[in-house]
Amino acid sequence: MREQIEIIVAEDNVVQRAYMCRLIENVGFDFFKVLEAEDGAVALELLKTSRAEILITDYQMPRLNGVELTRAVRSLDLGRYIHIILITGTETGDYGVRADALDAGADDFLNKQDDPTGLKARLTTAMRLIDHGKELEEQHRVLKEANDRINEDLAAAAHAQRNLLPDINTDILGAHIASAFVPSSVVSGDMFGCFPLNDSQIGFYAVDVSGHGIRASLLSVAIGYLITPEFFVKSVLDEDGIPRPARLVRELNARFCTDVHDDYFTMFCGVMDTQRIKVFYCQAGYPSPYYVDAQGNVTRIGSGGFPVGMFGDADYEDGVIGVDLDGMLLCCSDGAFEAENDEGIPFGEPRMEKIVKEIYRDPADKVPEKIIKALADWRGRKPLEDDLTVVAVKRNMK
Amino acid sequence: MIHSTQTDDGIIIVRPGVQRLTAVNSKAFKDEIVALIDAGNSEFVIDFTSTTFLDSSGLGALAGVLKKIGHRGDLAVCGLGPDVMQMFTICRMDRVFSIYPDEAAALRALSEKS
Repeated sequence: MREQIEIIVAEDNVVQRAYMCRLIENVGFDFFKVLEAEDGAVALELLKTSRAEILITDYQMPRLNGVELTRAVRSLDLGRYIHIILITGTETGDYGVRADALDAGADDFLNKQDDPTGLKARLTTAMRLIDHGKELEEQHRVLKEANDRINEDLAAAAHAQRNLLPDINTDILGAHIASAFVPSSVVSGDMFGCFPLNDSQIGFYAVDVSGHGIRASLLSVAIGYLITPEFFVKSVLDEDGIPRPARLVRELNARFCTDVHDDYFTMFCGVMDTQRIKVFYCQAGYPSPYYVDAQGNVTRIGSGGFPVGMFGDADYEDGVIGVDLDGMLLCCSDGAFEAENDEGIPFGEPRMEKIVKEIYRDPADKVPEKIIKALADWRGRKPLEDDLTVVAVKRNMK
Repeated sequence: MIHSTQTDDGIIIVRPGVQRLTAVNSKAFKDEIVALIDAGNSEFVIDFTSTTFLDSSGLGALAGVLKKIGHRGDLAVCGLGPDVMQMFTICRMDRVFSIYPDEAAALRALSEKS
């Protein structure tokens, strides 16, 4: 059996009110519970204290008339919809009143002279609308519950992803490494790592999976788990301990190439060798990092390279540069260059180079946050469209 | 979303029909061209004159089209703006795609090949 719907009947004439109540009970005594109000003000109070969902009100009443009552009900925040039926004279006779009532928020009208079938038809309509409203409410509740659960899962995934990343600030073998990691949604398709390979070499990599969001993050996290320091040492260092980062990239390319989907990733990986005072690197479609020497001269490292997982027969090259004691290596994912301002103009390389020149003397731990800040200022209110990673490596200790 | 026309030689000219080929529309872009390939077409020119920006998903879709055509046909791209060209360079796409300044040059090259 369905729950009873409470109906308020607002009517100052006692006889009329009793008559209306009887009519409603005749329509369906089981469906409705009738609450009586002798004027508009009483009806308004009753609405606040009851669970009434239908209001049948006379137009002419002392204190609040039917239209004023309607307006007052619509300004209340009851958390449920009140279906309002106004009793007036005929449509033609009370045209002005009906127009005012519609404006105030009335749903339906009943002629004073109507027979009981008119009332029954209107109550049926009201119940149909109320049922529909409840169905929507239930659907909304179910969707919200599902949405909350997804968001909780995502937050947990984001937390797990962050735990894979190195500390934001860390010293390895006399080099200072600082980073910033800003996902465009909760989880990110970016990934990076940095670790000592032995007592004189530091391995590092940055990865940017195509696309962004959950799908990209699945692959980025898989890569994060795969590239352990042991994996890095085994695939990068040759028999003489000389770093060959292209070997690692080739290995990843063989592993991730498939015709099943179009996912791929760009990558920059390298080894900072503190004895040879060099950085050995391999670039695989990742934006060329900046190298700033002790005098502040800025160069871009690498001329390009195939992304990983796109073409099975792609080959990769090793590169090498010397690094000054105070030199800084700076990797930014393409999300940095592509960040657009309100007018749709990307931040671009010239602006990035200008900032790099301004901040290269700062300690490494200040560099990523300053770049993030400059990009935030540039974007204004525009949200980040792609994941953003900035990693600064500075050799500033002997 | 794409606009495609066919020349008398049977070469399909595709204009992506969007200014930005990104994660939002790259799947539709690829699916529509793949449908043309599955319908038996094998020679394509994709004209990016009106497309000024490609993100990583857009590039992935384009590479997917190239792999789909494979050795059975030919794909040329043209009208690459400076930003798209730079992305092609950094990803070495200039070594896997045949790139021409405009449609006329691309069509000429494809016609001479066949």
